[in-house]
Amino acid sequence: MIGESFIFAFLNVAFVLVISPFFMMVIKKVKARVQGRQGPHLLQGYYNLAKLFRKETLYSEYAGFISRIAPYAALSILLVAAVMVPIFWIPEQELVTANIIVFLYLLVTGRLLIALLGLDAASTFGGMGSSREMSLSAIIEPVTVVVFAALVYVTGSFSIHDIFRTATTMFPAYNPTVLLLSVPLFILIIVETGRVPVDNPETHLELTMVHEGMLLDTSGRNLALFELSHAVKQTLLMAILLNIILPAGIALEMSAGVLILGGVLFLLKGTVLCVIIGLFESAYAKMRFFQIPNLFMIAFFFSILTIFIEVML
Amino acid sequence: MILTEVAPVWIRICLILVLVSGGFLLSSRSMSNLVRTYQFQSFLLVLIALGLCILEGHITLLLVAVLTLVSKVWGIPACIRLIQERIHIQQDLKFSYLRPPGALMLSILIILLVYVCFAQILESLYAASSLFFLGSVIGVSLVLMGLLAVCIRRMAISKVIGYLSMENGVLAFGLFVTELPFFIEFVIIIDLIILVLLTSIMTVGIDSSIEEYKTRLQEFHLLSEEGGIS
Repeated sequence: MIGESFIFAFLNVAFVLVISPFFMMVIKKVKARVQGRQGPHLLQGYYNLAKLFRKETLYSEYAGFISRIAPYAALSILLVAAVMVPIFWIPEQELVTANIIVFLYLLVTGRLLIALLGLDAASTFGGMGSSREMSLSAIIEPVTVVVFAALVYVTGSFSIHDIFRTATTMFPAYNPTVLLLSVPLFILIIVETGRVPVDNPETHLELTMVHEGMLLDTSGRNLALFELSHAVKQTLLMAILLNIILPAGIALEMSAGVLILGGVLFLLKGTVLCVIIGLFESAYAKMRFFQIPNLFMIAFFFSILTIFIEVML
Repeated sequence: MILTEVAPVWIRICLILVLVSGGFLLSSRSMSNLVRTYQFQSFLLVLIALGLCILEGHITLLLVAVLTLVSKVWGIPACIRLIQERIHIQQDLKFSYLRPPGALMLSILIILLVYVCFAQILESLYAASSLFFLGSVIGVSLVLMGLLAVCIRRMAISKVIGYLSMENGVLAFGLFVTELPFFIEFVIIIDLIILVLLTSIMTVGIDSSIEEYKTRLQEFHLLSEEGGIS
């Protein structure tokens, strides 16, 4: 049992690390195609990471120890989170307690580290990015809690493994609340990964950037680690959405054939979701900063609605 | 046999989507999206009526579905779109009393209030069928959400869509709790068509005198220079 749990942890983390840059590139490719451009190669994300890992890391003269440890800590935290979220296989026994509240705290800790990094370099843009990130965070966190509360209420468990296992028994057509829940979870992916209309990951304009502003003074290996942790975070949130609304193919037992099938199906489902995210990003313009809470409110509305409907049904 | 098993599931999904569309009518700023959402909401009611027809076997429900399809999914939205194209209004950014986030919050409270009230009033219905209870709660919630849209929107066309959404709520409630006679349903549809026609007149001419009205119609390309309707 313990051996199986370790295999799960290794496979899960390795799979997440390998596919995350691919998903980022799929979104970029879709956005480029919509704009009438060729777009980057689907493997460009891996080339960029390899290039950044080889480059020298420079630090601001004001930078303290936060700038040195934050990139490693941010990725480590997300890898721990990756152990909690089954991507293509739900083992019988959990290696760590995959509590959804702990998962939320891990995401918040990662965000806090990046905000501190933005402040640590003592640059104006970094400070501005951190300030904006924390302002947004103060509004989105309660909404995130309500979204996950709805998820817990519908599935009846705090454990992510149990939530996914329950989802495999509930075909969406027979549980409409699961379909309803997919909307706030999708909005959560957009918000947590800083995508249009909340933030624009492509921009470096001083007036608009949030996430990029905090990383402006980061370079080389550190930047690669942040890029990778950003991609991992996106994959984990995508896995939560996909494994709840479309759990088809997720392996419930340890056998090579089932695991490979589960991995391939997740890759396909993830690619489709990335295409949807890319199209969504292309269809909307970036919102004005003070309009962003409107989007959060929609997520909140859907989450509360999910709980109501579950009570009424 | 399979249809009678699937019908409750599809009615549930449609009911939830009806509520979602109600929320969207409160928050959307694009006029074309508002009309499209109303059209979608009406189409969901057609599906609900068909589902109930399969479950209950009443031919009246089939007639209601056909009438709703012809009038609310096709006729009224086409008419509103025509007005919208003529007056060249793309977005409704004017709100009174409440902005969309506040309206969504209030609509959550409305749904909760309706649920709490109905849980006591329709206790026997809830015990008999949770589906019909859900339908009645969503129907009345939609009426109140439509009313909220009428209150917070400032443009005449948006207000009309609020009224139309209210009527959709009445229809949903009627389908699940007290079935309205088909004749009444037919008269309501005629009322709605007149409402839309009146709105088209109000939208372009409410702030003009009778003498200026003709000029105003011509300004919005609703009347040709020769005096004929264009």
